[in-house]
Amino acid sequence: MHSLRRHAFFAAAGLLAAVTFLAVYTLLFGGQGAAAGSRGAAQTPAQLKESGRALSTRRFLGLGTLPNPKAAAAGSRIFARNCSFCHGPDARGAEAPDLLTSEIVLDDNAGEKIGLVIQHGRPGHGMPAFASLTKEQRYDVAEFLHEQVELEANRGTYKVLHIVTGNPQAGERFFDGAGRCNTCHSVRGDLAHVGSKLSPVEIQQDLLYPRIQDRKVTVTLPDGTKIAGRLIHLDDFNVVFRGAHGQYHSIAMSSGVKVCLDADDRLAFHREMLGKYTDAEMHNLTAYLVSLK
Amino acid sequence: MKDSRIFSAFFLSLVLLPARSGAQMLQPQVLLQNAPSRTWPTYNGDYSGRRFSPLAQIRAPNVHSLKVVWTFRSVVPAGIRGAPPVIKSTPLMVAGVLYFTVPNHVYAVDARTGRELWHYDWVAHGGHPMNRGVGMYGDWLYFMSTDDWIISLDAKTGKERWRKKVADVKMQYFTTTAPMVVGDHVILGVGGDAMDVPGYLESRDPVTGDLQWIWYTEPRPGEPGSETWPNNSAMEHGGGMPWLPGTYDKQLNLLYWGTGNPNPVMAGQSRAGADLWTCTIVALNPDTGKMVWYFQGSPHDTHDWDETETPVLIDATIDGKPRKLLAQAARNGYFFVLDRTDGKNILSKPFVPLDWSKGVEANGTPIPNSTRQPTINGSLLAMSAGGATNWMPPSYSPQTGLFYVNATIGYSIFYLTDAGNRPEGYGGEGRTLWAQHVLEAIDIKTGDIRWRHPYTTADSVGAWLAFPGTLTTAGHLLFTGDYNGNLIAYNAGNGRILWHFPMRTSLSNGPETYMLGGRQYVVAGAGDTLYVFALPR
Repeated sequence: MHSLRRHAFFAAAGLLAAVTFLAVYTLLFGGQGAAAGSRGAAQTPAQLKESGRALSTRRFLGLGTLPNPKAAAAGSRIFARNCSFCHGPDARGAEAPDLLTSEIVLDDNAGEKIGLVIQHGRPGHGMPAFASLTKEQRYDVAEFLHEQVELEANRGTYKVLHIVTGNPQAGERFFDGAGRCNTCHSVRGDLAHVGSKLSPVEIQQDLLYPRIQDRKVTVTLPDGTKIAGRLIHLDDFNVVFRGAHGQYHSIAMSSGVKVCLDADDRLAFHREMLGKYTDAEMHNLTAYLVSLK
Repeated sequence: MKDSRIFSAFFLSLVLLPARSGAQMLQPQVLLQNAPSRTWPTYNGDYSGRRFSPLAQIRAPNVHSLKVVWTFRSVVPAGIRGAPPVIKSTPLMVAGVLYFTVPNHVYAVDARTGRELWHYDWVAHGGHPMNRGVGMYGDWLYFMSTDDWIISLDAKTGKERWRKKVADVKMQYFTTTAPMVVGDHVILGVGGDAMDVPGYLESRDPVTGDLQWIWYTEPRPGEPGSETWPNNSAMEHGGGMPWLPGTYDKQLNLLYWGTGNPNPVMAGQSRAGADLWTCTIVALNPDTGKMVWYFQGSPHDTHDWDETETPVLIDATIDGKPRKLLAQAARNGYFFVLDRTDGKNILSKPFVPLDWSKGVEANGTPIPNSTRQPTINGSLLAMSAGGATNWMPPSYSPQTGLFYVNATIGYSIFYLTDAGNRPEGYGGEGRTLWAQHVLEAIDIKTGDIRWRHPYTTADSVGAWLAFPGTLTTAGHLLFTGDYNGNLIAYNAGNGRILWHFPMRTSLSNGPETYMLGGRQYVVAGAGDTLYVFALPR
């Protein structure tokens, strides 16, 4: 009974935390995607996915209380004026220690421990007191440090940096030449304006191996009958799909049953190319496709 | 069946007599002397890590009639942080009882019927929600909570005996391992690489829980190996988590353990050098914690190639001479065979296509390819971002001479996300582009892939939730799971599928087998449920 109540409480608390987290993270990291190809303040689906990634990584790692982003922003300015000279601009240490691995910082919840050190200094360790900072400002600094820890420890918050470093002209030559991209694709057809539709990271990964949602499947039965449909499940033992008119098919993978995934066939050339690209070719091709605004 | 009755009588004498005489359920000295044949008293079943059982009641000709005899579901009302619990532990089976875990919960269950004897619930304050099971000494169990405690329980009642803190959860230390009992030592390694903290193994007294020794996965300043780091600060924050159980050779009195990746994980610019003893197989004296030899599989790793995968101990004849070997299918894609007396390399051969390494040194250590490090603009790599394999237990069958591992073939792109001179944490990320899961049978003498089974699936990037371990038995069988929820029995010699059973989710632990009342059982964990199989009576 007791245990049930506790679990229910944690479930409710967990849900609340998740909702708060998403809201806070959208605030925190929503506008920071410039390097990853953000266009303005609106969230692209990719950015929303990134927020989800931050949340799930957070849960996977078991990170503690979420930093308060407003306080952290204020704390960042206070830290820059008062603390960064000794502890480094990102708190990763200079003359004075790295604060991101400091036990005081990591044990602190909301400024109660960090605040004392700021207020009284650490006599004997060479750290002066910052008695003029208010309680609220000490809290802000603490939240800034917690956010720095979060940005280090939660790899779901990491942003890919500037990846458009290739030569677009060389990329174009590769597209029409050695890469044979133009066999299936056209920069005036399926790839028209791709540089304004997708972020550079999405373009780079899609050109290497497209994320195709297509689940079209054709199953050939031992007697030669072919049935096409939309795949539901496939493993070594069963193929399950819906036919063109919505009818359900569940077929055992006995000998003589052949399964052909349309997307898989279309991707065969991409798989082959994965073993052939040089990094320079990949970067040039990325730059070319990003330039197709 | 006649021999099963003989087995049954023999088994009853083994189990009931000690209980009547009041002796301990699992005498540590007896465990050291004899490899168990009917029970499963350690994470890997025995100390060798082979996960090969001499039981042969279930065998190739009759495995098709294997049936579920009971299931047990771990019901944690709110889940583990909102997610359903996952059984990653290989249950111990001692004196007719299974002991297993989900994070912060320990269960004792009747191994014949699935009836729950007791359930211990630890109230945790944070931490990484994974757990790989318990260790046992006499009548006592040991397990790790998510918030870095080791807790000892009375196996008869599930009552707590003592608890000891082994690490600080706020430093992102994970404690997910099954503690390993060797004689009068309870040995455990810490995990977690989100922040740059040093890895260590420690040994504790089984009676009191007091610390006996601690071995750090980085040398101390000035010690041999410290020359492989640019400075003391990098070395002291170098990671190298030994987060899985090791193996042990009684005759040599050596403990074998794999260590994890260095930190910062993917940004290697602040730790130039080989970064010992990270991504390394080490041999330690279990009484002192002193290192006797080492072999590094991934010098200066920048791809998260943990080398914690089980170091499997194999006795085999090579070139007409009996050899004491150690074999490991490493996450970096190499199959290593070492002489476990001195750590000398016998074989280093890729078991998946890879390009992070451009060959091996004369001593068998792979040479990293500097053009395949993570870069700001992306570096294409021949390997899935998760590596060639992971913690899921491999197996070795002396009947076939083959080493079995669930592997992944693929391509990924690695980005450096922190290009500064003081990176921390991961400092980069890898994304899988395309991946294919395969089951491989590797010849331990040549490293050749004798057979390879690609799992049929519609998912080109691979299902990440499954970590299917392997089990081989004297019935010429190999048990493992695919990534679509099926438990599968193969002919271990040729890889032919003989039987399968669709579970509700994919296999999430290493399957095991034991004999009770003349009946051989096979156990598999899939998500929150244990499935137990036997032949019909």
